[in-house]
Amino acid sequence: MNCTTVRDRLAEHALGALPPREADPVDRHLPWCAACRKEAGELHRASASLGFALAPLDPSPELEDRVADTVHAAVARRDRRPQSNGRRSRLALVAAFAAMLAVLGTGWGAVMAGRAERSDEAAKRQAIMSQSAVERFQDLLNTAEFGDVDDEAFIATLTPANPGGGGGSALTVVSPSITDMAIVLVNGVPPEARVSLPFAVRLRGPEGALMVGRIDKDGFDDDGAAIVMREFLDLVGYDTVIVRDADGRVVLHGEMETRATVASPTP
Amino acid sequence: MEGLLAGSDDAIRALYARYGRPIYSLGYRLLGTRESAEELTQDVFLTAWRKAARFDPTRGRLSTWLMTIAHNLAVDRLRRETGVSRPTLVLVDEVPDAPGLDEEAVLIERDAALRALSSLTEAERRLVVRAYFRGMTAREIAETDGIPLGTVKTRLRSAMIKVRKANEGKDEL
Repeated sequence: MNCTTVRDRLAEHALGALPPREADPVDRHLPWCAACRKEAGELHRASASLGFALAPLDPSPELEDRVADTVHAAVARRDRRPQSNGRRSRLALVAAFAAMLAVLGTGWGAVMAGRAERSDEAAKRQAIMSQSAVERFQDLLNTAEFGDVDDEAFIATLTPANPGGGGGSALTVVSPSITDMAIVLVNGVPPEARVSLPFAVRLRGPEGALMVGRIDKDGFDDDGAAIVMREFLDLVGYDTVIVRDADGRVVLHGEMETRATVASPTP
Repeated sequence: MEGLLAGSDDAIRALYARYGRPIYSLGYRLLGTRESAEELTQDVFLTAWRKAARFDPTRGRLSTWLMTIAHNLAVDRLRRETGVSRPTLVLVDEVPDAPGLDEEAVLIERDAALRALSSLTEAERRLVVRAYFRGMTAREIAETDGIPLGTVKTRLRSAMIKVRKANEGKDEL
C-alpha cells in the first residue's frame, strides 16, 4: 500500500471507522513511513479531542476508589518482585521456550510438512506431542523462576490459511512492570509455500499491528521452521498473530486462546 | 506521570478527578451501560499506568493520550462482543449539559471540542458522531444512512481536516 492510499484512509483510521481488514495495511505502513505517521498522529490527537465534547456524566461515587484500588493492586504485585530478577527470568523463559520448541520441532515440523500425514499413528503421536508441549510449557510458567508475579502468558496455535501450509505456535508474556515479550514459532512450512519471502510476523491489537519479525530464506531450517521474538513496551490486548508473505497474503494465523498466570513466588 | 508510574495514590486520584468523568462519559456513550462504562474507566487507568513510561508529552497532551486509550479500548470491546447492541445515538448537542462541575482544564478541552465540531457542516458532523461516538465503520454508516460509501469517506476526511485545524496551536499540558 502506498502513501496516497494510506492517507486516504487516515481519517477513518483516526476515528476508529476502519474495519480490521482495512486497518491492517495502514498499520503495516505506518511504522515504516515517518510522513504518514506524523499525519496519522495529528489526526488521532484531533479525533481524541472530540471525546471531550460530551457533557460529562457522573459515575458511581465508588468508581474513584475502584480505579485507585485497581492500580494499587497492580503496583503491589509488581513491587513484590525485584525487577532485575524479572528481566533475567524473562530471558531465561525465552531461552527455555525456544529450546523446548527446538526439541519438539523435528517431529512436529515433519508432521506439519505433510511427510507423516499418511500415518494415523504419526498423527496420534503428533497430538500427544503437542499436548505435551503445552503441558510442559504450562509447568514452566508455573514456577517462580519466570518473570513478574503479575505476568500473564498467552499461547496461540497458528493454523495455515491453506491446507498443508504448515503451522506454528506463539507465546506472549505481558507484564505490568517490565517489557512484554512475543515469541512466534513457524513450523513445517513446505517449500512451495515459501516462495514469496520474507514473511512478516505481526501481532494485532488495540492500537493496530506490531511487527514481531520478518523471516527470510535463511531464517527457515530444513523442516520449514523458524522462530522470531521481540520485546515490546506493551502487549496488552494483542491477541491475534498474523503471518503474511511478501505479497501480503495471510500464510498463518492464530488467536491467543490459552492463558496462564505465572504463579506467585514463595514469599 | 511520574506519580502514576510509581502508583502514588495522590497522582491516581488527581488524574481521575480531572479525566475520570470524561472517560466514563465516552465509555457510556459508546458501550451504553453504566457497568460497561465503569469497567472501561478502570481499564483505561490501569492501561495508562502500564503505559505511563511510554507517554511522551512532546508528542501530545495527556488528555488526548488518555482519551485515545479510552476510545481504542471501547471500540475494541464493541467490535469483539458480537451481537452487542449499540446505545441509542445521542447527538453531542442533545446531551444534557452539566456546567460548573468540571475542572478548568477539562472545560477548556470541552470548549475546544465543541468549537471543532461546530466548524463542521451538519452532514460532516453527523458522520463524525456516528463514527467516533458510536464506533461505526464507514461502511456501516453508509448502509445505515443510505449514503454512498465514497461520500461517507470523503465527508469523514474533510471533517477530520477541519477538526485537526481546530486543534492546531492548542496549548500543551
